Parts: sequence; structure tokens; C-alpha cells
Amino acid sequence: MTSYLRTAWEAAGAVFEERYGTEVVSGFSNPANECSFVRNSVGLTDFSFAQMYRIPEETAVDFLDSFLAGNVARTRFGRVLHTFLPDDDGNVVADCYVANNDQDFILICESIVGTGEVDRILDSYGAKEAGVERWTNHRVLLSLDGFDAWRVVRDVFGQDVLGLPYLSVEVYPFEGESVLLFRAGKTSEFGYLLMAPNAVADALYGKLHAAVKTAGGGLCGVEVHNALRLEGRFFNIHKEGVQVRDPLVLGLQWMIDFDKAGGFRGSSAILSRRAAGLTRKIIGVSAAADCEAFRSGAEIFHDGRPVANVVADCHSFVLDRKLGLAVFPVELAYSGLNFTVVAADGPPVRTISMPPILPKSLSVKLAEM
Amino acid sequence: MTNTAQNTIQRRAVIIAAFKKELIQRLNLPYTAEDLHEDVSLLGAGLGLDSLDALEIVLCAENCFGVKIPDENVAVLRSINTIIDFIIEEQDRKGSAK
Repeated sequence: MTSYLRTAWEAAGAVFEERYGTEVVSGFSNPANECSFVRNSVGLTDFSFAQMYRIPEETAVDFLDSFLAGNVARTRFGRVLHTFLPDDDGNVVADCYVANNDQDFILICESIVGTGEVDRILDSYGAKEAGVERWTNHRVLLSLDGFDAWRVVRDVFGQDVLGLPYLSVEVYPFEGESVLLFRAGKTSEFGYLLMAPNAVADALYGKLHAAVKTAGGGLCGVEVHNALRLEGRFFNIHKEGVQVRDPLVLGLQWMIDFDKAGGFRGSSAILSRRAAGLTRKIIGVSAAADCEAFRSGAEIFHDGRPVANVVADCHSFVLDRKLGLAVFPVELAYSGLNFTVVAADGPPVRTISMPPILPKSLSVKLAEM
Repeated sequence: MTNTAQNTIQRRAVIIAAFKKELIQRLNLPYTAEDLHEDVSLLGAGLGLDSLDALEIVLCAENCFGVKIPDENVAVLRSINTIIDFIIEEQDRKGSAK
């Protein structure tokens, strides 16, 4: 499967890769530039590889609450719930946004299985009876992220966009169609996801791309979002998520309603592990920029023996250091400790508090714009 | 393990436990202390706390540890760990000033 906008991205010089059977825009020639677009102005990224569904309001809450870990029933009109889809063993399958859009609910999944498998999971929970519409092949999902992202959405959709709180949804008219705008994002800068019907995808891409260029930004691929998410300490299902899978070890308890009546997919397994107590947890680690040994899969040593594993890594262009996440025994999972990587006498690594960067967007108050 | 590392862990563990207990109580959070990962985002993303909750967090740091988080320093409130770092820095600063 390819994005509806493949031709446009290819013409702009994009390099592609495959994720679980879907072709995605991996990046362009210079990842430092792509990072700088987001940290200093604005970047436009194609997230159309995500699975998208529309569920009618009448059936949405019961249907979605039967398998998602979060509490959809408590998601107010106009708001977005960030949660995940577990498997039967309570391990993460998809990182999900659920938007309560009044007449309907919208489900967006970034999964570590193919679209066909997510479709099958939803079918097994009664998607047909709930009237679920599969939007994955009929919509594009464009992400605007960056310090100046708010300027671009304001110029395209109007001043009232600035009043949207984080994790909210609103509908805007565009070229005779409805575009869903989600105030979301996982970079720690301002972020907006725009979901549009294929009929206006080219026009929307063209308008956003032009506005992004005017703002001094540019196009981004999904690879740079791995670094952006890590710098902002946002959960990344494509990195630490696929390595670890257990939401409790991953620190995703905040995405779970442990008291949800009737439970959810895999809830028994999650509750059992919670009752038994955590023995390992994921924390931030950092090493020198030239530390080639610091990469996902590497062992971290303490007192001459391996005690942890790196499960995500990147080069942070903001910090000019290697940045990562590692799974430690809970008794050692504290910020501010020194270890070595690969061997007992290997290069030094240090556990750190996350998030390690100060996003420029923290200095902007949209309500005052 | 070196004494320095042991001391770092013990000191941090004590502050984290006290802070989480106070935070859960003040904000009536539906989580146990173990559920609250120290790196989870507090405002907006993650726990999704609002500006009133942020005030409670500031009061929590002040009442429990005698550390005042300046109004303009919202960056400290990014996660429990960044707050704990600030508390430890302030305690050290006050200690060395005596």
C-alpha cells in the first residue's frame, strides 16, 4: 500500500521505506535539516500510513471501550484520548488517538502490525455491527509540527485554530470538503494532524507545503520523528514499543483505565502484572555523540555485569549527544547514575531525566496571540 | 556499587516517594505510586494536567521540600523527574550556602 500523495512526495525528493506492508516517507537528504524545521520553524510529514476509522456516535463508546486500554466514555466532545490497543496478552499493538467529534468518533492507529491485521482485530470486536467505516485508504493524514506550526494552521484555517487545547479536534471546510484538525503531535513543539478526504489531498498538501516554505520550514520523513519523539519523551511504538511491548514496563500506565467496567482487550494480563509489581522499567540514557556502541540492542553494564538493554536510540541534534531509552531493573532505574555500554570497560553512559530538551514552543502562549 | 551511586539512589528514591504520595493525594489521581513513571509528561500530554493542577504541583514541592518553583519556570514541570532534579539542585544550593 502507498500513500495517496506518493507522487507529490517523490517529486519533492522523498526516500521511502516499508512499515508493516505500507510504504512511508522515510526522509529526505539531510535529517539535521528536518529536525531543525520542527525545532525552529515547521515541518510537514505524511502520516497517512496510520490506520484510520470512523465510528458512528451511537455505537462508538461501547465498541471502542471493549478493546482500547483508555476510557473512551469519559472523552468529552471535541477532545482526543491518547491510548493504545493491546493484544490478548496485554502487550501493545497500536498507539491510538480517539477523537470525540460529536456525530462520530475517529480512531487513528499507529500499529506494529499491518492494516489488514488491525482491521481483523476491529472486526473481531464487532466492527461491522458497530457501523465502522474504514478510512485508511480514503483519507490522508498530514502532520504539521514545529515552533511555528500554529502560524501555518492559522493562516490556512483561521484565527480560532489557536484556541484549540492540546488533544482536541475540530472540523474545518476546505475546497468543499471537511478536514479534521487534531491538535496533537509527539515532538513537544506545536503539533497538528490534518485528516482530509483523498479528493482534496493534493490541494491540501500543496497549500500546506507552500505555507510551510513561506514560514522557513520544509518537508520531513518519519525517521526524524524517531529522534523528535525521543527528545520529547513521547512514546514511540516503532522503536521502544516494538522492542518492549509491555505497557507497564514502558511506563504507559497513564494511558490505561485500570478500573474500566468490563475490562478491555488484554486487561486481565495487564492487571495481573500490575498486581505482581514491576521488576523492570524504561528510563532515559545518554552517551557522547561519537559513541558508536550506543545503539538499540546494546547491553549496559554495572559492577562488571550486564544489567540493562538499550531499546531505542538516536542522535539528538539539539543536544549533540546520543540519546536513548533502556530497560533497567527497578532498583537501578534512577536518573543520574553512571554505567558503561557493551562491556564492563566500555564507553560511559549515564541515566538521565526525561525529557532532556526545552522545546522552544514552551515560550509561546497561543492564547495571547 | 559505589557509595556515591547508592547515596544518589537512596536520596532520589526518598524524594520521589514523598512527592508521588503528595501528588496522588492532592490531585486525586487514579493511580498508585508505582503507576506514575517519573518521566511521564505532567502537563498537556501524558497525565494531561491543567494550569490549576500545575499550581498544586508547585505547592506540593513547596510544602514537602521547602523548595519554591518560580512562576516563570514552567520548564521544571515537564515531568516528575525534572521536578525532582530541581528539588535536589535547590536543596544542594541551600546546603552549600549555609
